[in-house]
Amino acid sequence: MGKSQALIKIKPKKYKDGEVVKVSFMVMHPMETGLRKDKKTKQVIPALYINDVKFEYNGKVITTMKVWETLSVNPVFTTYMKINGSGELKVTYTDSSGEVNEKSTKIKPKG
Amino acid sequence: MQRRDFFKQLGTVAAVTAVAPAMSFAADAKKTKGPNDFSYQQAVEVITGGKPVVVSSKVELKVPEIAENGAVVPVTVTVDSPMTDSDYVKAIHIFATKNGNTRCIDVFLTPDNGKAMFATRIKLGQTQEVAALVELSDGTFLSAAQSVKVTIGGCG
Repeated sequence: MGKSQALIKIKPKKYKDGEVVKVSFMVMHPMETGLRKDKKTKQVIPALYINDVKFEYNGKVITTMKVWETLSVNPVFTTYMKINGSGELKVTYTDSSGEVNEKSTKIKPKG
Repeated sequence: MQRRDFFKQLGTVAAVTAVAPAMSFAADAKKTKGPNDFSYQQAVEVITGGKPVVVSSKVELKVPEIAENGAVVPVTVTVDSPMTDSDYVKAIHIFATKNGNTRCIDVFLTPDNGKAMFATRIKLGQTQEVAALVELSDGTFLSAAQSVKVTIGGCG
């Protein structure tokens, strides 16, 4: 893939310490099941999908996910998270080809 | 004598060619039998380890009743839980019961999540039931299921 394209969205945008916020993580990924055939060459496209997703907040693992092929193209993972001081939210995701990528955002609670 | 040898060889060759495809079929079958090739019931048993699963109204599964495009079906699972250190939702598993790969995603939550909810988008090959299996911190399993009508399958 080369460049990893991912996005972390936090709702609401302005939050206080101790608040529970909605976190959405989106990745641009083909999520090939290994069942689809190329229409021109008639050959099976090999499986390539996200295996593993991990949410870390200030070094503490919050949510881990084991993912299979059945998720749709460009998957979205949405959960909630409790804000506990300022810091960094890091999402690490692993491909079935073994490629590891990560994306992080800063957490800045106000008030 | 030469003629006899020739027929002997022919016989062995024929035997090998007859057996070889069967062997390669067996190898293929072994290859495709991965951890995700279980049926829905088997997959549930692997996760629960034979423990009873209770259909509960605490688990709220939100899926559209009619999905026009099977390639993108939004699924939301919300569990009524206080999410404290002693009582929280440990894991949420989502299944598409009739897909080739039944298991969609296993989510492992911690009390730091604050609210037991998970949303994603899945592919559905045909009209079928989508099920959610929830494991609580005390080891009990809850579940919920809903059928989805798929107009165009999305597992190409």
